[in-house]
Amino acid sequence: MAVYVDINRCIGCRSCEVACQRVHGGSGHVRVSFVEGLASVPIFCHHCEEAFCAAACFSGALHKEGDRTAFDVDKCTGCGLCALACPFGVVWTEKIAHKCDLCWGRTEPACVATCPANALSTDGEPPSRRSHVRAGRAGASGCLR
Amino acid sequence: MTMVRIPTVCPYCGAGCGFFVEVEKGRAAGIAYMPGHPVSEGSLCSKGNAALEVLCHQERLKSPLKRKGEGWAEISWDEAAEMVARGMGGTIKKDGPGKVALLASSKCTNEENYLIEKLARLLGTPHIDNCARLCHAPSVVGLNRTLGAAGMTNPIPDIADSQCIFIIGSNLAENHPVISRWIHRARDRGAVVIVADPRETHTSWMADQFLQLAPGTDVALLNGMAQVIIEEGLIDEDYIAERTRGFEELSASLKGLSIERTAEITGVPKEDIVRAARYYASSPASTILYSMGITQHTTGTDNVQAVSNLALICGQIGRPGTGVMPLRGQNNVQGACDMGALAEFYPGYRRADDPGTIEFFTSAWGAAALPAGPGLTATEMIGAAASGGIKAMYIVGEDPANSEPSSLSVKRALESLDFLVVQDIFMTATAQLADVVLPGAVWAEKEGSFTNTERRVQWSSKAVDPPGCALSDLEIVCIVGRSLGLDFSYPDAASVLAEINRTVPQYAGITRERLGEGGLVWPCPSPDHPGTPILHTTGFRLPDGRAQIVPVPYRPAAEGPGGDYPLVLTTGRVAVHHNAGSMTRRSASLISREPELFVEINTADAQRLRIADGDMVIVTTARGEAQASARLTERVKRGVVFMPFHFPGTNILTTEAADPEARIPEFKVSACKITRRG
Amino acid sequence: MIKVDPNLCIGCRSCSNVCPSQKILRSDSEGIRRILWNRCREECDLCVEFCPAKALTLVPFDELVPEPQLSFNLVSCRICGSRYAPEPMLSRIEAAVPPDSQRDPEGREWIRVCPACRRRAEAQRAAREGVSGRRGEALRRGK
Repeated sequence: MAVYVDINRCIGCRSCEVACQRVHGGSGHVRVSFVEGLASVPIFCHHCEEAFCAAACFSGALHKEGDRTAFDVDKCTGCGLCALACPFGVVWTEKIAHKCDLCWGRTEPACVATCPANALSTDGEPPSRRSHVRAGRAGASGCLR
Repeated sequence: MTMVRIPTVCPYCGAGCGFFVEVEKGRAAGIAYMPGHPVSEGSLCSKGNAALEVLCHQERLKSPLKRKGEGWAEISWDEAAEMVARGMGGTIKKDGPGKVALLASSKCTNEENYLIEKLARLLGTPHIDNCARLCHAPSVVGLNRTLGAAGMTNPIPDIADSQCIFIIGSNLAENHPVISRWIHRARDRGAVVIVADPRETHTSWMADQFLQLAPGTDVALLNGMAQVIIEEGLIDEDYIAERTRGFEELSASLKGLSIERTAEITGVPKEDIVRAARYYASSPASTILYSMGITQHTTGTDNVQAVSNLALICGQIGRPGTGVMPLRGQNNVQGACDMGALAEFYPGYRRADDPGTIEFFTSAWGAAALPAGPGLTATEMIGAAASGGIKAMYIVGEDPANSEPSSLSVKRALESLDFLVVQDIFMTATAQLADVVLPGAVWAEKEGSFTNTERRVQWSSKAVDPPGCALSDLEIVCIVGRSLGLDFSYPDAASVLAEINRTVPQYAGITRERLGEGGLVWPCPSPDHPGTPILHTTGFRLPDGRAQIVPVPYRPAAEGPGGDYPLVLTTGRVAVHHNAGSMTRRSASLISREPELFVEINTADAQRLRIADGDMVIVTTARGEAQASARLTERVKRGVVFMPFHFPGTNILTTEAADPEARIPEFKVSACKITRRG
Repeated sequence: MIKVDPNLCIGCRSCSNVCPSQKILRSDSEGIRRILWNRCREECDLCVEFCPAKALTLVPFDELVPEPQLSFNLVSCRICGSRYAPEPMLSRIEAAVPPDSQRDPEGREWIRVCPACRRRAEAQRAAREGVSGRRGEALRRGK
């Protein structure tokens, strides 16, 4: 499971960034990237099937729990390997690692709830007929192709 | 102690989204979304998400202050009241009430704005206004004239039922983000979106057709489209015959207007103009969404009337999915206007120069006498302060030192007043110039009703107490009123709303008890009336029930480029900031995302000026200069530059030239030059 | 006090983060990361235990032994040139990621690209592929 974005609906308002920061502190887990003044794409953790961040994590803080790449903050030393292992650049290390946990413990991710343009979802079924694009693909074989 | 969730209305824009403030042990602990809200459906933009950063900010004013040397001394409310009595009361005694001016706040509640304008008029001054003067005054004037009512004609969710959405002079994706979700739904159902803007914005991303017109040429474009529609027989003849007056004059005024001429003036290819006109006229339901790009011009009233004309000749009003939709910026600018905090209107848009109005309110307020208007507008008050026509001002929740054009003159003007009292939540640039500063409350620290851009009145509840000795603005206005000898004692906001029910016909049925989830949309003339989401369904509140079509000739902007100032400066907003920035520039999560004043320059223009991306440059106009960081882009055409006005500096540059009727300054067009610093 | 094996240390941030008395100093400046292991008497072994490379050992306190320090050049991002990571850390990532997943759709070795540029590249890919209509055409033309 991950947060999916309908790129044709994203308006680049950065509400997802601010909501994530409000809920999780630090600088949040989402970054909106602007492309040639013509599009904005929020980059989220893909919760990859074969998670390279977890593979690089020597302490087991980052690990798979079912569909989700989970993070056990008590085991993290902030070494920084995970941030370098993520192909999409969505893991950060300040004193410890910071990564999307799909708002575990909330009814739905704050970013999905807050998006004014209704561009985000967790089920990959956007509220539109048009095709949507996940900001990246999860899974070992599909990871970067 | 458990956590409670208090329903509030967002303090930022006119969309009026709802969210809960979570309160624990009397302190604001967090925000919870409101999935049941009819417009936002639980969503909330970046500014709303950051709202608690303002509420809890350490720079919040906590005590009344008076000037002391280079700084400020904290004083009691009693002393503050006494100083106001001496300062404002003194001016009234010595020079007469006509030398006193008040500015109400489009961030305050309806009840507070009603009391501020009532205070002004009971004191005998006609000079009361609010910042609508700087944004939608042309809508108030133009739509009252053409359609008989100044407000968005259809609700925001109704946009999803439209088949052609024409967005002109609005960057709603950044300024009213929640409207986007409804536009997307319309597109899902096959709607065509046309966006007209001198600049490629996040809103233009939604466009199937993008008309990149030159700044200040909106009347030309709208007239050009109207001419195509008339020529090709795409008008709604039945609607024109039954519901409008003035079509013949419009048609005559447009005869001889060639599409080539329109294309030449606007810079939009003629095929695009024709195609847009055809889409708009022939779709079964078309709506026009507009904002500052239409109003902030010396031709702002004309622009609004041209928008009305287009909708009227195509019969695109009064049905679902149609409409003329001014997007009001502030959370309560619609309400401040409805409450008559305007130079030319008493509450309910009764004209201030109509003896009937004076008679009604003299009786309703038990007053001995009331001043007839029109009074000075917000911008004119500043000019009069400079020339001595105004000697004392009471400014509530407004920052003219940053929001009016020509900031340097504004500061000098305010400094020359005999007495200035400013009521605000932060020490803004305007508050810095005051003799007395009164600490007010933010949205979650008081209760009252707010009216969003859809004419939807919603009740916002009090979540926490204001900090220190700060009070709700309603309490403060009563203190000021009593200090000036008036009988101002309202125990709470609901008691003021009850008076509003009696004096503002559109709000007659909007009682406290009825304001639950979803609010009520005015006009609501009686306590059993359900409200009026869609206006003009059966006619217009004008003579004969007919709308007025008004021919508008194209006039270029007051200050064109040339000579020393070869570039056109246009101004606007960005998503994470709000207006003059007093709230958003103090919010860490917002200022970090857009930290400084910038100027967008077309890449080719920048190269010619030897300016690289990121260079600090100096932008100069006839009013002064400001420094900004250069951003090279293709979003603006050659010859046009863009600056956001959230940072001090942009309005040092803007022109004071104003629309003759609505008296709004032409923020959108100034002539400038740019040089690299150092 | 600490003994560091320079062949094993990868220049990460673990030990400097976990030391309870902040005796391990790490700084990045002008493209070089420097780590200095000050003498300590604490004899806790948090840094030893939490070193990903098992490069640290505890040895008896000795005033005459110099305090270990290492410097690492920070590798330049292949796209923007910013200096973002020590080489041994990148090598370790290369060892952990399957070889056939080390090139992005443009054929670049993404591990040698800084995280900010990785996000930008992903955004560009997604925008070019997914944006439809007027904008989509402009984005695909621009490439």
